[in-house]
Amino acid sequence: MSDEMEPDQTILETRGLGKRFSIGTRFSKEGRRVVHAVDNVSLAVRRGETLGLVGESGCGKSTLARCLVRLYDITDGRLLFDGNDITSQSLAELRPLRRRLQMVFQDPSASLNPRRRAGDLVAEPLRVHTRLGAAGIRGRVAELFELVGLLPDHVVRYPHEFSGGQRQRVGIARAIALNPDLVVLDEPVSALDVSVQAQIVNLLADLQEKLKLTYVFIAHDLSVVRQVSNRIAVMYLGSIVEEGPSEEVFSAPAHPYSQALISAVPLVETTPGGRRKRIILTGDVPSPLDPPAGCRFHPRCPVAQARCRVERPALIEHRAGRKVACHFPVADGSARP
Amino acid sequence: MMLSVRDLRVSFRTDDGLVRAIDGVSFDLEGGEILGVVGESGSGKTVSLLAVMGLITDPNAVIEGSIRYKGRELVGLPARELRRLRGSEIAMIFQDPMTALTPVYTIGWQIAEQIRAHRKIGKAAALERVEELLAEVNFPNPREAMSRYPHQLSGGMRQRAVIAMALSCNPALLVADEPTTALDVTVQAGILDLVRKLRATHNSAVVFITHDMGVVSELADRVMVMYAGRIVERGSRAELFSDPLHPYTRALLGSIPPLSGEKPRRLPAIPGSPPSLLRLPPGCAFAPRCPVRYEPCDAARPALPGGNHAAACFRVAQA
Repeated sequence: MSDEMEPDQTILETRGLGKRFSIGTRFSKEGRRVVHAVDNVSLAVRRGETLGLVGESGCGKSTLARCLVRLYDITDGRLLFDGNDITSQSLAELRPLRRRLQMVFQDPSASLNPRRRAGDLVAEPLRVHTRLGAAGIRGRVAELFELVGLLPDHVVRYPHEFSGGQRQRVGIARAIALNPDLVVLDEPVSALDVSVQAQIVNLLADLQEKLKLTYVFIAHDLSVVRQVSNRIAVMYLGSIVEEGPSEEVFSAPAHPYSQALISAVPLVETTPGGRRKRIILTGDVPSPLDPPAGCRFHPRCPVAQARCRVERPALIEHRAGRKVACHFPVADGSARP
Repeated sequence: MMLSVRDLRVSFRTDDGLVRAIDGVSFDLEGGEILGVVGESGSGKTVSLLAVMGLITDPNAVIEGSIRYKGRELVGLPARELRRLRGSEIAMIFQDPMTALTPVYTIGWQIAEQIRAHRKIGKAAALERVEELLAEVNFPNPREAMSRYPHQLSGGMRQRAVIAMALSCNPALLVADEPTTALDVTVQAGILDLVRKLRATHNSAVVFITHDMGVVSELADRVMVMYAGRIVERGSRAELFSDPLHPYTRALLGSIPPLSGEKPRRLPAIPGSPPSLLRLPPGCAFAPRCPVRYEPCDAARPALPGGNHAAACFRVAQA
């Protein structure tokens, strides 16, 4: 992407975005407490690209996804869609934007109403947002079913009559029904059988090309994320620790956490002895209720120094197009001492 | 031979007719060996291992064939005898550790109870052993962890506590059903190390069920690939991954996106989805999705030939 510096290429932007949840009541033992599920996230999604968001469970990636489509109210920072500040717009004000900003969820059997037929489910956004008549809706639904690889007679089926892969196709048809600009996909393939995942990954790539969609793709499966993303952002404990072109981040991660995460993925090794060096992290992800001081990764970091315990590193550009939040980023290519 | 399964068939009577979940599964396992069982949902990998454990209690289940553990037939063994084996000689770890732990007792209490159920040992001695076990599965502070309730532990710690419980009586055979599927990769790496360590220190045999080819390739000595209730391919890890025979194994390996090197423009996907066990095709169950299917595939089910590396496929037999 050579024109990445043009400001109008950015379709979605967050500036210091944060989401706090308060838990407990004043009657509970610890009193009311605040969890920073997402903390100071600044991201720019460019038109037509796929931004992959990776991280372990509890790192805040799903919360961030929900903030991006305003399913959660944002507590800190700003959210801009196509240049408009939509951080605190009312639901009525958001409505015209909703059709341009859609979401696909992880588990299609939980996100589709079991008592409604697939055709109705896909027609619903059309009824809400367009002035199409019954025939027009029927025509558009048929078109969408074909687009996502479902058969015309599938419109009368209920969600439980589909296989997992087909159900996710219904979920995708629903999300693209209104010709959105941006689709946020929260773990769209992780509930599917391995042999079906590749079909859905390919379908998403085809749709992106045909409909000029922009994706924010969230998954914990790193190889799937690498396959679909142009750029990736790695999250740890609510914040982004590294961001950059996906090929580069995967081949030469700069943050010790990204490095450990990528090295932990079990791979099919056909050549015996060709095993990679694995970095095993000690301890568990700390509770976001009580995050460590300084760099939030320092208690598990294999190369933490005194400075990391007191000073929190900011996400800064350390090389062209690559950002990292680390005082001592890994020099590319070379192994750590 | 530690475990020898011959022609195991498990069926369930349902309103829609007899469902054959497992159809003629045979395999052997030696002490100190790790067998990886790979398959998708509905392939029968879990049911076959539940049968080995004698944990299929559904009155509508019909179990046929033979399961011999150290020469002793397990099919038809009275529940009391089976219970004596389970926990002491054969241990199991499940996908979701929360279902294997009771929420109302501490971790230490639960593991000590498990030890005392199988051994004549005092309470204090049992608790001492619990502390040892928790240290063995890398709890940073085992004494403190003993007084914790399951909900106070993270997912990875819970799974390690369940593993500690499984190891408490030094089982000769450990059956692990997708033990790392619910965990993050960084935690998974630690659990896989633990399984390897267990094999090294106790010479236990391990059956490891997973859908993740990467995990199998890191851990298993031998691999069994299942599809629609049957074994479609078996072989040593090296054989299976460097020279996969069955079209299903090949397609499955091909559809995993690479983590390094050239990115394919499109993933080589397998069309369709796994068949329903109620409506299996008459011939090979994989035929409707198979890229190299020809006439014989629709007529009969290919058998799995003997030998170390073999696949149940007419094309392979022909070659």
